[in-house]
Amino acid sequence: MLLQMNNITKSYGNVTANSNVAFSLRKGEIHALVGENGAGKTTLMRILYGMENPTSGEIRLEGKPVSFSSPEDAISHKIGMVHQHFMLFPTFTIAENIVIGREPSSGIGFDRKAAAAVTEQLGRQFGMPVDPWKKVGECSLGLQQRVEILKVLHQGAEIIILDEPTGVLTPLEVKELLIAIKGLATQGKSFILISHKLQEIMEVADRITVLRDGKVTGTVEAKDTDAEKLSRLMVGRDLVHMSRNEIPAGKPVLEAAGITIAGSKTKPLLDGVSLHVDEGEIVGIAGISGNGQSELIQAISGLMKVDTGSVKLLGQDITGEQVKAIRERGLAHIPEDRYQWGVAKDATVAENGLMGHADRHQRYGVLRGSGIRRMVGEWVSRFGIKTGSLSTKAQYLSGGNLQKLIVARELAQNTPFLIAAEPTRGVDVGAMEIIHGELLKKRDAGGAILLISSELTEILKLSDRILVMFEGRIVGELNADNATEEHISLLMAGGKAVG
Amino acid sequence: MDKLVSFIRSMVQPLLAVIVGLAAGAIAIAVVGGSVPETYAEMWKGAFGSFYFFTNTLSRATPIILIGLGVALAFRAGFFNLGSEGQMVLGALSAALTAIYLPGPAWLKLIAALIAGIISGGIWSAFAGWLDAKYRMNLLITTLLLNYIATLFAGYIVSYPLKDRTGSAAMAQTMMIDKSVWLPKLFKGMSLHYGFIIAAVCAVLLFLFMRYTVKGYEIRMLGGNPLFASYGGVQRGKMMLLSMFVSGGFAGLAGSIEVLGTQYRYLDGALTTPGYAWSGIMATLLAGSHPLGTAIAAILLAALQTGGMGMERNTEVPLEVSNIIQAVLILFVSAKITYSFIKRRKAARS
Repeated sequence: MLLQMNNITKSYGNVTANSNVAFSLRKGEIHALVGENGAGKTTLMRILYGMENPTSGEIRLEGKPVSFSSPEDAISHKIGMVHQHFMLFPTFTIAENIVIGREPSSGIGFDRKAAAAVTEQLGRQFGMPVDPWKKVGECSLGLQQRVEILKVLHQGAEIIILDEPTGVLTPLEVKELLIAIKGLATQGKSFILISHKLQEIMEVADRITVLRDGKVTGTVEAKDTDAEKLSRLMVGRDLVHMSRNEIPAGKPVLEAAGITIAGSKTKPLLDGVSLHVDEGEIVGIAGISGNGQSELIQAISGLMKVDTGSVKLLGQDITGEQVKAIRERGLAHIPEDRYQWGVAKDATVAENGLMGHADRHQRYGVLRGSGIRRMVGEWVSRFGIKTGSLSTKAQYLSGGNLQKLIVARELAQNTPFLIAAEPTRGVDVGAMEIIHGELLKKRDAGGAILLISSELTEILKLSDRILVMFEGRIVGELNADNATEEHISLLMAGGKAVG
Repeated sequence: MDKLVSFIRSMVQPLLAVIVGLAAGAIAIAVVGGSVPETYAEMWKGAFGSFYFFTNTLSRATPIILIGLGVALAFRAGFFNLGSEGQMVLGALSAALTAIYLPGPAWLKLIAALIAGIISGGIWSAFAGWLDAKYRMNLLITTLLLNYIATLFAGYIVSYPLKDRTGSAAMAQTMMIDKSVWLPKLFKGMSLHYGFIIAAVCAVLLFLFMRYTVKGYEIRMLGGNPLFASYGGVQRGKMMLLSMFVSGGFAGLAGSIEVLGTQYRYLDGALTTPGYAWSGIMATLLAGSHPLGTAIAAILLAALQTGGMGMERNTEVPLEVSNIIQAVLILFVSAKITYSFIKRRKAARS
């Protein structure tokens, strides 16, 4: 056994993040670590990578007990980690990013040519070719990920931890990544893969360890299991299969006509986008992120000025109105990036829940604390949000729990129109099930929902109609019944619709 | 229980800064050859030794509290208002001129003078906010530079057009305000006046406002994450002008109260030389922008200053030692800011 983690326990005060966790890794193995948000996956890996000290338990590397006090320690023991958010310098070249900390030198100078050669050789050796002279900022996210992995390999890693590696990648990039991982594994590298995407795990992993509430609920060989069994281990119960009821769409709720935002680049950010969302309808917008979806959301919700075109909500023109006025007319909004738009991290759960609801919980401009606590408390129990208390700061909630709080807050606005942007990004299956159920419930009650998601499965599962965005334009409209993943993928990549 | 723990935790760093500051002071005292316990005893006496000295400390703390509150409000909204000095000076000048030249009964003059001070300080501060909202001019720089315009303008006004020519002294100052318009003293023969009560009430009101009102909530969210606030419908530009106006209003009030309660005229340099504005900013930083904490920190800083004077009167140790303690305090407070900044960065990464 290459690596063994025995009886690892980690507690923070009276919260136990890991309880008697056992984890092992064979040479050349791809071992997936799955579990809901807050199940303790990240904590376990932080312990292995020297970022946290375990309260008790031991780590053995090739049979010898070791302990790491810092990531440098872990790296020197040939353990490398690729974080969910890339840690690269965008203005530096690929070669510079890869050799950082271990730069080849000529005298006292940095030998750029040697760095490029090393990078090129590394790429060839591991079957992940890159152009060493290219600036990282100009690379796609898939390529940046490749750079991260090469960086770890350059540090001499034999064990590579990948934290949610496919979250930001396009479907094609995901495929390439999985192939690359498999290739490296046959060359003897060992992988620990943290993910909640069961499909991908089933495709690539040799073994799977499931965590729930800080405990291991099972370690299984991938060939002996399937996605359904895994999700039962993760959630602790069977998942309900949802189906959409067919209801006829009603009057238009949101109508956008010819929205154009020029932006500062040569191509406009939004180029004559027209769409409508009707009562009792979920309209999905598919597309690789960065093709104008963010700008569309901001244009509709009033966060960005449009150059030409108009937006109507319930028949009334809302183009250029203030965010607050638009919200009052009947718009709620689950933002695409929860940390950027959705919360203030230093504020409490209750305060974050109050945003947009303050006017209903005040008298003469003074907030009514008990009403606010009752409202947010009800969401916490209904959505199963794991939080110490309502006075806990939002930054201490896991991503999935924060997302549930945001979804609850926006659904509670009870508006005729809802923008749901990446409503389940980084959220585990249990929470995803709840959020999807709530969105469908709102639709069945006559609500109009604009769903923006880079997850095709989510789009296909929820939408009545699907629009595909590419380079600021809507390049295709499909009916949910006859849309296929292949067809949408093609449109997303800028290919022409066939037939 | 959790609240108590987090309160104690939030107090550790400022207390540590104070202790290290005193330790550095002790070294400085020893270097100039003074006796450390004796010098600190004299400092304590100078600040709190008798009722007279105590009220003297509170009186010095009054403008520092008000300025600190203003800076704290802006800081909570996410804006760094470094322009307190200019806002205070303009407030003081307007209050003095109103009290001198406005016709009418004394009580009206007093109230009008206070309001004039608030408004002129507020407008001066909101002007910097407007430059940021309209022309994207960096608030840190504009507020800082507007100080010079304000203090030099006030200096000009009292040196030429409205200079006091009744007395023989060639001081750059306005005429004396009529005695009936003065803010009354709290105790006979002491320097402490009703301005302190106003400052204390303001601290409590600001605390309640920030915590319990819709506007206070919006200001805090704006400071916490501006994008989140605008996403939720808070208008950044409007809130910025409002919070900058109130922030400058506090500084203007500080100047007016100092004029109406202590100086009884606008005397060029009388507000800038003691460094009230900078002490106020320091008090805010020391207290992490908490309104009540800011008031306490302001009293502490005032005590260091009055204590330093007592020390200089009664020992061979020069006044500069108390400046050293203050400087070390600033150093450790800024260490606190960097420390929490690093913590935030770390949290963002994980």
